[in-house]
Amino acid sequence: MTRSPASGKAWRAAVGLALAAALALTGCSTTSGGGGGSGKSEITVAGTYPIQNLDPASPSGGSNTGTQLVAQELFSRLVRVRPDGTVEGDLATEWKANATASEYTFTLRKDVKFSDGSPLTADDVVASFKRLLDLKSTNAANFTDYTMTAPSPDQVVLKATKPDAAILRKLSIFYVIPAKVTGEDPDFFKSPVGSGPFKLEKFDPSGSVALVPNANYYAGVPKLDRVTFRTMPELAARMTALRTGEADLIWGIPDDQLSQVKSDSNLTVETVQSTAVFTMWFNSSEPALRDAKVRRALWQAVDFPTIIKQLYPETGSLADSPVSPVTLGYVKQQPVSYDPTAAKAALTAAGFDFGKKLRLQFANAEFRPFNQAIVSDLQKIGVQVDLLEKEQAVFTKDLLALNWDVNFQQLSNPTYDAANTLGRLYTCKAKRNGYCNPELDKLLAAAAASPDEKERTRLYGEASKIIWSDAVGMFPMAVKYAYAWNKRLTGFTPDPAGLPDLAKVQVSSS
Amino acid sequence: MIRVVVKRLLVGVLVMWGAASLIFVIVRVAPGDPATLMLGPDAPPDQVRELTATLGLDRPMPLQYLSYLGDVVQLRFGDSYLFNRPAMAEVFERMPATAELMLASTTIAVIAGLALGLLAGGRPGGLLDRVVSGGTIALQSFPTFWTGIMLILIFALALRVLPSAGTGTPAHLVLPAITLALPFTATVARLTRTSVAETMHEQYIRTARSKGLTERQVLLGHALRNSLIPVVTIIGLHMGGLMGGAVVVENVFAWPGVGTLVVESVANRDYTVVQAATFLVAGIVMAFNLAADLVYSQLDPRIRMESAA
Repeated sequence: MTRSPASGKAWRAAVGLALAAALALTGCSTTSGGGGGSGKSEITVAGTYPIQNLDPASPSGGSNTGTQLVAQELFSRLVRVRPDGTVEGDLATEWKANATASEYTFTLRKDVKFSDGSPLTADDVVASFKRLLDLKSTNAANFTDYTMTAPSPDQVVLKATKPDAAILRKLSIFYVIPAKVTGEDPDFFKSPVGSGPFKLEKFDPSGSVALVPNANYYAGVPKLDRVTFRTMPELAARMTALRTGEADLIWGIPDDQLSQVKSDSNLTVETVQSTAVFTMWFNSSEPALRDAKVRRALWQAVDFPTIIKQLYPETGSLADSPVSPVTLGYVKQQPVSYDPTAAKAALTAAGFDFGKKLRLQFANAEFRPFNQAIVSDLQKIGVQVDLLEKEQAVFTKDLLALNWDVNFQQLSNPTYDAANTLGRLYTCKAKRNGYCNPELDKLLAAAAASPDEKERTRLYGEASKIIWSDAVGMFPMAVKYAYAWNKRLTGFTPDPAGLPDLAKVQVSSS
Repeated sequence: MIRVVVKRLLVGVLVMWGAASLIFVIVRVAPGDPATLMLGPDAPPDQVRELTATLGLDRPMPLQYLSYLGDVVQLRFGDSYLFNRPAMAEVFERMPATAELMLASTTIAVIAGLALGLLAGGRPGGLLDRVVSGGTIALQSFPTFWTGIMLILIFALALRVLPSAGTGTPAHLVLPAITLALPFTATVARLTRTSVAETMHEQYIRTARSKGLTERQVLLGHALRNSLIPVVTIIGLHMGGLMGGAVVVENVFAWPGVGTLVVESVANRDYTVVQAATFLVAGIVMAFNLAADLVYSQLDPRIRMESAA
């Protein structure tokens, strides 16, 4: 085989161009695989959540997990919830409720300073609370018409419009900033001043936040020199970044990826029982689903133990309550056993129309296999289901309009209190699933008003029993969150709400 | 020539008006509203209504449209609901990252595509030609997100020579730029190959050879220059495609450009940002198309823009 002069020249010209292309690439590259976590005491946290602004009281920040994640490092709260679900003081050293749980008095920690060195006073707390209400974020809705006053320099009093025993845990999403900040103040949040363990070094809304220790933090300066939060929406990129050392901590790892990180000797992997429960409401306002016997039979027709074992062997367990075991108000219920024959007989006896297709809606592709398995089990007894995977905005719109027959959600609970789920979502007034039971309403109201936690748990247990036996929904799975972190990190505790605190984390020198 | 450019710019104004109007309608026709998404499904209805009014979304649609057009003329797009700052400022802040990515990927695609095209077109039907032709079909067939993840697994995880995602050093640019460049490289290569193969049989190539020019001079001075004409056109036309690809690539590699911004904004129904980003991107694509036309006429004197014909 010979090469013509033309093709020989073409070859040389092509090789030249190819070399130029290679140079264009390598000229701007390094061989460094690592990026984050470069320093000894610096760590990088890679998360899915975008962090668009740092104001936890703003309408957009209030419901944004990324904002809350960073806010808890920048700002202090009156109280906060520990990973075990109990309440601990942050700015408050002690607190006391009146007999009707409608008024709470908080004693403030002395000598707390903001990161700029200015003292944090009761006036800052009161002004921050007023600002929270003024901005009307979703968090403000927890305190509608509540008032806060400062009767003395080291005390604040919060008055509720009605008995509200869940107030302490609700306050875990109330952050204190200097009193001079009023209304939405974007300039302040470009360089915010807080009293949390860290202060802001750099904020890039396009994908990263860098924090450095707050030398004035009342509980001692954190040992980390820098914490960088990086938004990485793609799971493969997050997993790779963790394994290459570009990231030191990730969570929300699906079961099918856990074996990979577990096999890496540089990583620690732990699952923690979360506040989340897979919740599949039936729309009780639909004629086909009005009868509790029908709803219960549908629940009975799905082999949840097998589905969970197959799809969520490590991050799921069969739920035994509408709320998570780490939530105040959790009381174990009798499991609903899988019995397709009994289910079909019950549906037939109840006059269920097998010709009608049920609309099962969910958002987020990660839940597709789970819902597909449910559809498959229901089809085995002749129940037809349209599986509708919706974009989040469409899902939310249809959810509120009750434009569905069965609705799948992973319901988490940042306040660790059943008031935030049972009390909020299952009342007649809430109109969230078409179910209305005055007896349930009474129990939920009594549970919300009792200052005695044991009594509240008992009442929520009674409420759960009604919700469970009336099959307001199916409650298939209690969710665990899988965390993985580099072994050089010490002092890290996985958080059941997916909001881990990094104040006590250190980087080991070995 | 100037008259043609002015005419094209006037048409461009109409196109921009059309793009601005279309995106205004599309974001509002899409189900879901910004206030509910911002406040979450548990917000009380009166709070949702109040925020809707604050955002100006409670006004009748024609009124919103007129006020929007008035703002667009002044290049004002309002404040982002999510970022709480001017939408266009947010887009401008992300644009350098996207421009960097697009420039790098276009450079790679053009250089590598021309090289592969020359290799294949220099000897049509040969082994190299068949390898390049087959390879380019494969490159065009792979979905961008899949290519991106594969490159991450190979170069970041297995070989550990490049970072997996993010930004900060030039090394971070390599994988996203290659991912975005690959399908475009295939297009340029195929086009160049066809063009070179045809050109090599032209009479003027024989004439050039008979004048005593070396093969290198013939190839680079005559064949390549004429082969570039369709390539230049495709670069201009491909800008829109590259922007679309950038949306996917930026998300895979957590690249902080306009693509990730648009995805976040669409998901959150942040109308102002979606409108600002679409307007800017439409303008850029239009400018590139115009530039491609102008360069096209310069490269080939036989082609005259319509006024000169």
